[in-house]
Formats: sequence, C-alpha cells, structure tokens
Amino acid sequence: MKYVFLGSFAVLAALSVVAGLWHPRQTDDRIELVWCTDDNPVRRGQIALFNELYPRYRLRIDPQNSGMQKVIVQSLAGVGPDLFDCYTGSQLVAYVRSGIAMDCTEALAERGIDIDAVWPCLKPLFVYEGRAYGHPDNANAYDIWYNKVLFDEAGEPYPSGDWTWDEFIEVAQRLTVRDERGRPVQFGFIGYWDYNAALAQWGADYYTPEGTRCVLDSPEAVAAIQFMQDLIYRYEVMPTPTEEMAMSSAGGWGTGVLGLFGAEKGAMALGGRWWLCLLRDEDYAHMRLGAVPLPHGPSRRQFGGGRATLVNATGQHIEGALTFMEYLHSKEWSQLVNRQADALGPVMKYHYGEYEDAFLHNPEHPEEDCNAEWRTALEDSVPLQVSSYVNGQTVERIMLVQLDLVKANLKPAAEAMRDAAEKINKAIVETLRIDPVLRDEYERAVAAGARPAWDDEEGAP
Amino acid sequence: MTRQTRRTVVALCFLLPNFLGFLTFTVGPVVFSLAASFTNWNLMKTVPLRCVWFDNYVKLITEPEFWLYFINTAYLMLGMPIAIAGSLFLAVLISQRLRGMVVYRTLFYLPSFTAGVALLILWKALYNPTFGPINLLLEWVFDGVGLVQLEPPDWLASTKNVLALAVERVEIVSRQFGLGARDALIIMGIWTAIGGGNMLLYLAGISNIPRDLYEAAEIDGAGHWAKFRHVTWPQLAPTTFFIVIMSFIGGLQGGFEQARVMTQGGPAGTTTTLAYYIYTKAFEEFQIGYASSVAWILFTLIFAVTLVNWRFGSRYVSY
Repeated sequence: MKYVFLGSFAVLAALSVVAGLWHPRQTDDRIELVWCTDDNPVRRGQIALFNELYPRYRLRIDPQNSGMQKVIVQSLAGVGPDLFDCYTGSQLVAYVRSGIAMDCTEALAERGIDIDAVWPCLKPLFVYEGRAYGHPDNANAYDIWYNKVLFDEAGEPYPSGDWTWDEFIEVAQRLTVRDERGRPVQFGFIGYWDYNAALAQWGADYYTPEGTRCVLDSPEAVAAIQFMQDLIYRYEVMPTPTEEMAMSSAGGWGTGVLGLFGAEKGAMALGGRWWLCLLRDEDYAHMRLGAVPLPHGPSRRQFGGGRATLVNATGQHIEGALTFMEYLHSKEWSQLVNRQADALGPVMKYHYGEYEDAFLHNPEHPEEDCNAEWRTALEDSVPLQVSSYVNGQTVERIMLVQLDLVKANLKPAAEAMRDAAEKINKAIVETLRIDPVLRDEYERAVAAGARPAWDDEEGAP
Repeated sequence: MTRQTRRTVVALCFLLPNFLGFLTFTVGPVVFSLAASFTNWNLMKTVPLRCVWFDNYVKLITEPEFWLYFINTAYLMLGMPIAIAGSLFLAVLISQRLRGMVVYRTLFYLPSFTAGVALLILWKALYNPTFGPINLLLEWVFDGVGLVQLEPPDWLASTKNVLALAVERVEIVSRQFGLGARDALIIMGIWTAIGGGNMLLYLAGISNIPRDLYEAAEIDGAGHWAKFRHVTWPQLAPTTFFIVIMSFIGGLQGGFEQARVMTQGGPAGTTTTLAYYIYTKAFEEFQIGYASSVAWILFTLIFAVTLVNWRFGSRYVSY
C-alpha cells in the first residue's frame, strides 16, 4: 500500500512540476494582450479592429476579473492583465497609489498622443497630479431619453429640450399612469437617482477645490437631493424604491434604470448614449427613441464621465499596452465607438468639422437623429470632483446609505447630507491618520488656506 | 529502523499531503490575517506598512457602523429557533414508515442541493411587492377578511423590522415596526434551513433511538406527545446540542450571499452583516488591516458563543 501511496505522490508531484513549467504553445506568433473590461457585445468589434490594425498583437478580454479588487490583488501577485478599465477618478487614485497604474506620460507624448485632445470631463479618469496613466475609451454625459410611443399614446408633444424642471414635471405628471388600485403602471420619469446629475445641476460640489473637506452639506447639495426626493413624494413622477422594485422584471432592490426604460415602465429616463448598445436590440424594436438635454437647473453644468483604460505597471507587455493607447487615440477608434453607440468617442475633434457628418448620421441607424444632443451634453460637462484624501468606495457607501433613507422618505435631505458630509470628513481624517504622504500634502494645502475636514482641533487627525 | 518507527513514518507520509494543504491554505491565511489585523495595510504604496497594535480593534469597537452590522447579524439569527424546531418537526414526520416517503424526503431536501444564487434570485421575485406571489396572496387574504386597508410589506425595499430597530442608531423607533428586508431574509433562511442538513441530522438521530424505549413507553400507556416528550426529545439532545452550536456559528458568519445577490447590503445598510462588512472593507475599500480585525472579532464572538453553549447547553445532554 505504501508503495502505491508513494508512487501516486511522486506522480502527482512530477505532474505539478510539469504544469508549472509548461506553457502552452501559442497558435501563432502574435503577442497576446489581456484587457480586463466588461463583456459588452461591442467589444467584439473593438477587438477585431485592433487586431486588424496592429497585426503583431492579439487582444483578448478578461471580463471575469475586471473588478477593481481583482485587478489590484492579481497585479500585486504578478499575474495581472496588461490593460484594465477605470470608471472614476477615485478608482484612478487607488490604482496609482497602489502602484498598479503605470505613469505613461512621456511614452504617450512620444507616440504623438495629445492628452488634451480628449473631452475635458475625462481627464480625472486617467490623469492624476498632471501625469497620465492611460487613455479614455469613451465619453458620456446625460440627456433625457424619451419614448415617442408612450408620448404618442398620451397625446403629448415631444419635448424640445429647451425647458425648465417645472415644465418637465408637468409633462412627467401627464405621462404617469396608475391602475385602479393606484399602483404605478408607467412613470413619467425614472432614473434621477444618479445623484451626481442633480448635484451638478444645482451647482453643488463634493469637496472644496483642494479636496480637503467634503461640502455636501452645502445649501446647493441639500436643494439637489431635496429635489430628487420631491420628484418621488411631492410630484409623484418617479417611483419610490418599492414601486421601482415592483416594476422591475427580475424584481429586487437596486434594479437598473435602463431595464425599466426598455420595459416601457418609464416615459422618460436619465441616461447616456451607451444605452443604445442595448436598445438597438430587436427586443426593443417597438420603441421609438428621442433624446433631449436635461431641463435647466440652477446651473447648466453636469458631471461627465466615461471609461478609461490604464496600463498595468506590472503587466507583461508594456509596449503592446502602449500600442493600445495609440489605438484609443486614433480616428478609427473614435469613429467605431460612435458607430457602435458605446457612448461617444474620447477624442473631441472626431465629432466636428470633416468628421461631423459621420458622427451625426449613422447610415445603419438613420432613425437616430439626436447625436448632436449627446455632443452638446458633453460640451456642458465638467469632471466629477475627486479628493485624494478619501477612498471613493467609502464615499459611495456612505452616500448610498444616506440616499436610501432619503429615497424611502425616512430622512429629510438636509439631515442626510449633513450626516453624509460629516462621515466623509471623518473618513478624510482617518486617511490622514494612516497616510503620512497624503498628510504632508494636506497640511501644505491647509497652510495655503484650504479648509480642513475638521471644525475644531479635537477632530484633527 | 524498527517496525514501529517505519509504521509511524508511513502514517505520517499518508497524512503529509493533507497536513501541508491545511498548513498552506488554512493555518497560513489565519495567522496572516491575525498579523494583518495589527497593521495599517491598505494596499497603497504611499502608506508604509507598520504595526498599529490594537488601533484597528479600538476603532471598530468605537465605530457605530460595526455595532449596527453586528445587530443586523444577530437579528438575522432570530429565525434560528424556528428553523431548528421546523427541522425537528419535519424529521419526525418523515421518519414515519409511509408510502412515498422517499419522495417527500427528496422534496424537503431540495433547497439544500439547489444552487444558492438561483434560490436567492427566485426569492427576490417572490418578494416583489406588487406582483410577487407572497404579496398577492396577502392581498387576497386581507381582502377576504375585510382588511382592505392593510398594505402588504415592502419586503426587500423596506428598512422596517419586527423589533422596530432604527436604521442608523442602536435604538427602538416605533415607526420602524413592520416587516422589511431583514425579515424577508429570515423567512427565506428558515425555508432553506428547515429541510436541510439539520433535518437529516435529526432523521439520523431518530433512527438511532432504540425501539424498545418506545415499546416500554407504549406499555406504560404513553401517547404520541408523551413518547415525543419523554423519549424522542431527550434522546435527540446531543443532536440538538450539535445543531444549535453549528447554527450559531453559521448565523454569525452568514448573510454574505443574500446581501451580495439580493440587497447589496441595503436598503440603508440594514442587511449588511459582519461577513459582508468584512468583504466591503477588504475588497472594495482595501482596508485589509481593519477588515482582518473585524474578522478576528467575529471569530472571538463565535468562539465565545460556542463556549457559552458548551458550558450551559451541555447540561441538557444527559448522556
């Protein structure tokens, strides 16, 4: 028996060694680049074009490992991807500070990539403290989507886009339909719970300009969140959390707005051009879509964003990853993104002048006549504010709890925003307590006149 | 080498692979997480790794969030006695010698071998406040008994709970009284647990009870209830003791899948348990040191509860 055991053990050990040393032979001589991104169907076309333009490489996506935590942990272990996506400025800060994102400022310049040529609102996604770590893939800003079929059924004229929130609410109220028990069948509007849109339109900021203090308790921020609550409980044009859950096909808290709009549960919705990636599908052929700018808030601005792809400093193929940056900066990429409606291409110039016609009119989708509106929305967009002094995920967790309470009408907006600001400022103090580098920076900023996160010395780190 | 020594060496060789795996994949990470809990490790290169001794522990104990999530965890364990009693009841029922019992046993055990995520998604649909079968049934019942003004619960969208616990503070607030997301998870947990492993353990326990005890009780004129009370229940004491301990351990570690799939810890953090909190702190906010300290506090809690169970619960195990 012992010989059987020893023999089995020896065989297993030998197989383990072989597995560790053996690398499967590639089917061709091309270098394989791994890109951690989502499995959006449009990626197929984006990969195919790259492989065609740069035949030295074979690009492959790894959607299973695209979560931030997986990218960081795998990269620290030396098995990370060559390229990975970044959706917010706070994610970029985390990637840079963990040493995963590669500073490729000079390498981009050498390749003729002008980082100022992209939409300004995209900068925080790939530029941190003046250094570039990648390149944006697409750019997104919000408009109001509307379903022409539901407007026609209600005998409501299509919106022109030059409207105030008061005018908007009247239209939304006319488009809200309830059954005999008072249960919602269709809402005039869905999706304004993307609180960044409201904060921008009401002129609110997340932080002081230096990022040293959270100012979400400002009158502007409170007014923005109060307006969101009023859309549900005062004007009754937007679903309560319960109604939203009831209307969703899968059921459940936290269901996406895009799904609800696609299911014709809302006549209007706050969304981006990238929704077309789904809404072009045959399943939604019965919908006729239009898009108009957001109603005028106290401010015209809105927060714009998108997605950037960063170069992994621990990746195996830096040269290939930089080639991918060239691709993202190219005319071919921006035009492909525009054709696919994966939001808008990242480089501004490919939407104007000689390229304008190709952007505005897609021969495969002649019914899409509102591309100019998406461009205007991006022109009005400013970058979402980020503070280096607090983890973006922590901020999001704090905001979600407070907004859940506002959304359920359990807390007035003023109280929720006061509590949110207080907790975020506490998180800033906590960061400073553990991070000496940031603390030095912070102290310099405060010495130069920036407002600290604490009100008295007792609250200081 | 003596025969005895050779036998020992061979035995150790047999044990070695498992022992190495245990050292590498269990003891190693456990020791590592204990060490990490005394550090400020947050994956950021700008933060030099240093020992902060008990700072993480002091911080979490003084942080209201930790206590709120601890209460959520404890609250979700409220269904435990019902689940255990239900398992016992089912085990007694299906231990009867009746035709088709195998089918019943399989049906009751179904939740345990169905994919967890699939079940969670199914329950999410069942809890739909307007179109879900549960609320449709409740509406029908309310209408039937003339209580039209009664509204069925909002389930996963509501922060209400039967203990009227406040959302952000550790206090009782009357307007929070009702059925909400936490209760929905408890009901689902009871459904899953009743026909699961506990039922099988009870079934095994019942089949091991000597028949002559029942025969003696019958001779003494005992009915069904008396036989259960004076024979079955005392004979199942060791099984119950084991199930209670394991349920406590499982309950304190639980809530992650439900939060991840059904609620994302909401609404307003009311379904965030300690297990989910550890995940968000470690893998979303990258506070590995802090998350490790929460994990060790959780371990200490489990250990303490098990000791208490052992100390007092074993009194009821008479053999």
